[in-house]
Amino acid sequence: MKSKSILLSIFLCFFLTNKLYAEQNQLVGADVDYGEHLFGECVTCHNSTGLGQGIPKITGLKTSQFITKILAYKTKEKENAVMQMVAERLGEEEINSLALYLSKLK
Amino acid sequence: MTKMKRRTFVGMAAATTTALSMPSIAFGALPRVVVIGGGAGGATAAKYIAKDSKGAIDVTLVEASKRYYTCFFSNLYLGDFRAYGSIGHNYYGLAVNHGVNMVHEWALSVNNAAKKVNLGSGESISYDKLVISPGIDLKFESVNGYSAEAQSKMPHAWKSGTQVQLLKNQVKGMKKGGTFVMVPPPNPYRCPPGPYERVSMIAHQFKKSNPTAKIVILDPKNKFSKQGLFMEGWQKHYPGMIEWISAETHGGIKNINAATMEFETDLDTFKADAASVVPAQRAGRIAMNAGVNNGDWCPIVPASMQAQADENIYVLGDASIAKSMPKSGFSANSQAKVAANHIRGSLTGSKVFTPRFANTCWSLVATNDGIKVGANYKATDEKIDKTSGFISKTGEDSNLRKATYEESIGWYSGITSDMFS
Repeated sequence: MKSKSILLSIFLCFFLTNKLYAEQNQLVGADVDYGEHLFGECVTCHNSTGLGQGIPKITGLKTSQFITKILAYKTKEKENAVMQMVAERLGEEEINSLALYLSKLK
Repeated sequence: MTKMKRRTFVGMAAATTTALSMPSIAFGALPRVVVIGGGAGGATAAKYIAKDSKGAIDVTLVEASKRYYTCFFSNLYLGDFRAYGSIGHNYYGLAVNHGVNMVHEWALSVNNAAKKVNLGSGESISYDKLVISPGIDLKFESVNGYSAEAQSKMPHAWKSGTQVQLLKNQVKGMKKGGTFVMVPPPNPYRCPPGPYERVSMIAHQFKKSNPTAKIVILDPKNKFSKQGLFMEGWQKHYPGMIEWISAETHGGIKNINAATMEFETDLDTFKADAASVVPAQRAGRIAMNAGVNNGDWCPIVPASMQAQADENIYVLGDASIAKSMPKSGFSANSQAKVAANHIRGSLTGSKVFTPRFANTCWSLVATNDGIKVGANYKATDEKIDKTSGFISKTGEDSNLRKATYEESIGWYSGITSDMFS
């Protein structure tokens, strides 16, 4: 019974690490230092510690969630003049770097 | 072998511990950055240099106040949308979370050649790089008859703090059906939509408790920021209460008399029961002392925010000529991050990224009626050039205006957390 749990834990660990690796591997041109630098632009509005009143928190977003949201602003599918403006000048390298940095934040 | 004395041993042990825990100090002094001014530019720069260098740069922030009241959102205090205490912040987070050395004194002068800042106490601090973010000084003499003495009867309230409290008391105490006169400053000045948001918040007060009161704006300009949006809002929320008179209509303010509360123009002499006069502005005095100004403001290198006059000095925020960025807290915060990245790169060899600038200014016209204007910018050889932008539209629905107001609350929480924690 105990050995089954251990095996399951090892499997889960391997699966999750692999999934994370795969996700991060798809982040073409991602640079975590660049992501951290770009994140400075986000935290002028997105409070990294508060409740996210008025402006949602972005820390804790999964990589895929972040990319989906930012692309929706970039294509103007999602409304908000400030976010559309922010997204407009983010290229693939910037979006992936931000996604990589965000994924490393707790 | 000679026996080691106990005192010698203890001394050696202490020295060894110090050397191990602070290797950089033991083997060479850390590069030192001094930041003058703890507002949106200075506090942000100090934090980001300290945070990102992870102890590799010694950062000192010189700011006379131990508690900083933001200029942004002080209008919301005037309109009873914020408590005064909620716009005050301390520097505890910068010191404790990022190791910034706080010096609560006035910076009196800068010795560029010796790279030293002289303090009010007579002490001086050396720097490798100096950041000057002093905000504005007021040119009282720009309005005939206005002075530091007259500011108690006609508060400018343009540097936050007790002047805003004084103005609020005068607005609330104004006689029923009286006239409030607002004199906005000429361009360029801190917070372009600020005077008109102030008028909105005062009108909001009058609507509640003094509905027959009038507001006259004697503007030294012929147009102003978000003009169409403010005018629409005033008509909608405060019909007949606010009269904006442009410079070409009143012909210029010839003189004001704080004793009689009279404003003399070519058009007429206006008698006020309460007033706010915001004179022309210039970079804070320390920037002039450091010799990095050209006239009233400080020319900078757009890609780094370095002063054109001294490569070891960076000028941020309102004091700089950061055309086409407006003088705002958001702009200063954005410029501070560009400067911090550049300073860290030049002192430690860390990566310097392509500068990115942005600004957004929210204003409140009435309850749940928020408007905004914003832009992205990039550095060119000549200036910080606008690359794209947006502005709220007239006739927007009330849900969007409410969301814009709520967004501004979120922004205030975000930027003050970014500056101070």
